[in-house]
Amino acid sequence: MSELARWERIAALRKQRPRAGLLHGSALALALLAVLAWTTGDFASSAPTAGGRLAELARFAHELVPHALRDRPLELGELGAWIAERWSTSGAAATATTLALAIAATALAALLALPASFLAARTLACAEPYVDDPRPASRVRRATWGLAQRLVRALLLLLRATPEYVLAFLAVALLGPLAWALVLGLALHNAGILGRLGAELAEDLPPRPAAALRASGATRTQIALLLLLPVAASRFVLLLFYRGETCLREATVLGMVALPSLGYGLAQARARLFYDEMLFFIACSALLVLAGDLFSTWIRARLSVARRGNCT
Amino acid sequence: MPRSWTSSTAWSTPPAMRDAPISARGRAPAPAKILGVALIATALLAAAHLGLFRTSAALLQAEHGLLGRFLAAALCPALDYESAVPAGTPPLWQKVLEGLRSTASFALAGLSLALCFGAPLGILCARSTWRAEKHDPRALAARALWLGARSLAAALRSVHELLWAALFLAALGASPLAAACALALPYAGTLAKVFSELLDEADERAVRALEETGASRVQAFLAARLPTALPDLTAYAFYRFECALRSAAVLGFFGYPTLGLLIAQAFENQHLRELWTYLYALLLLVLLAERWSSALRRRLVA
Repeated sequence: MSELARWERIAALRKQRPRAGLLHGSALALALLAVLAWTTGDFASSAPTAGGRLAELARFAHELVPHALRDRPLELGELGAWIAERWSTSGAAATATTLALAIAATALAALLALPASFLAARTLACAEPYVDDPRPASRVRRATWGLAQRLVRALLLLLRATPEYVLAFLAVALLGPLAWALVLGLALHNAGILGRLGAELAEDLPPRPAAALRASGATRTQIALLLLLPVAASRFVLLLFYRGETCLREATVLGMVALPSLGYGLAQARARLFYDEMLFFIACSALLVLAGDLFSTWIRARLSVARRGNCT
Repeated sequence: MPRSWTSSTAWSTPPAMRDAPISARGRAPAPAKILGVALIATALLAAAHLGLFRTSAALLQAEHGLLGRFLAAALCPALDYESAVPAGTPPLWQKVLEGLRSTASFALAGLSLALCFGAPLGILCARSTWRAEKHDPRALAARALWLGARSLAAALRSVHELLWAALFLAALGASPLAAACALALPYAGTLAKVFSELLDEADERAVRALEETGASRVQAFLAARLPTALPDLTAYAFYRFECALRSAAVLGFFGYPTLGLLIAQAFENQHLRELWTYLYALLLLVLLAERWSSALRRRLVA
């Protein structure tokens, strides 16, 4: 092949390559928007370059060191004693409350998401579910089910679009500083996500068994509870653990709104300018989140092995 | 390339889970009943620890006047200020637009910083980057570097953006750059984790073909692995943009001029109808971003 022919061939192949026009255009648009944000916002002007800022940073770094240990050489034993003392006075209780908040919120989210995901699944929430040859269902029935399914989907969309912190703030503002308010805020947002994922799980299940049940006269509720639920349960539990990780991460900050937990302790320390304590609470939340991630990864790996074992 | 997971549009699940990586080693299935009972017991224990059972009565007796007024205000969000404002105050719609602009600009600044750090870190976190022969003496060093990169990503991720924001506020004062950095650090960790998984999942055939015809590792990465994974990487970056908008709004509760600040202030002044205006504005912004990124994902599947 001559050099020219080769280049022509390459050009022809290049023309045939799959294009993702929308993707490229969107990426370009987002990049332009980012440039616009950097140039119009006052991000650049606020860069800590002045000497004053550096002095401030040095002061801050100094205050991060536990109060009793400042201005002398660091001794690990003393540091350990300080950490142990902080842990037993407030750290342990705050960590336990944060963990409980995440677990309770995940559980409540699952409770709310289960019925929602059935109602949002297009295969189940229609006038004649799992019927191969859709007999002409009455127009009213079709419209009602269509509307119900769309309403549930819209509600789930709104819930997951609202940040959990905003939901928790509003819940505390309206219900008072109860643990319930934080649990509700966290659970509602996650119910929006779990409901959507659960609906997709239900829609992706093979339709044959359900159609067979339906043909032998099972009701919609029976199909949902006796067939779809048991089959999808293991996948749903996997999702639950995944959302649990995110909930735990979010629970570390929700305490800033109310409830004596890690975020609460941090906010208190910040208000009193006790930066050493603040750092302690941040370290506690980081370790809690890391431990949660590791546990969830471990159990998800075990569960998917188990699931595979059941299938084969 | 298996795209089954993309069709489920479930970016909220990590790529590694969508096609759950299942090891072939047979292990006894975890007894489902024990797991179920344990899950329920843990949830009940957590609820008891928080005193949810004890306080549920208090929840029902909560002052319902405010709740009723709040819900009623949802139907008629404010189109103008609810109480008199000093002369020369810009109209409400201008305040809303400014809140939207600043929320988007914090999100974009944070996300672009996060991409600058997260994308290289993602490459370092990918298993495929450090692939080495079994008896290669460098295998151990490669593994150490890989572990180091992964730990860095995990550490960045494990501290919530609001906690980073609290740290930066204390260290540098309230500067927009500090807020952008607070967003960028945990987002860089998350991007690194997911990017590395997407790079590892990319179709191996093109990479093999290039390497077997003599391309170097770097060439194979740039010409085969990266282009193959690029659509997925871009789509994921868009999903993170949606999350960044939410996080940027929440930064407002720390005094940054985003929608969260407007929401908090409106509640303090008991301007419930104004609060709903800001809430609707936030929802509109996030839903627009959601539509955009889900349109991209759908296009990827097609």
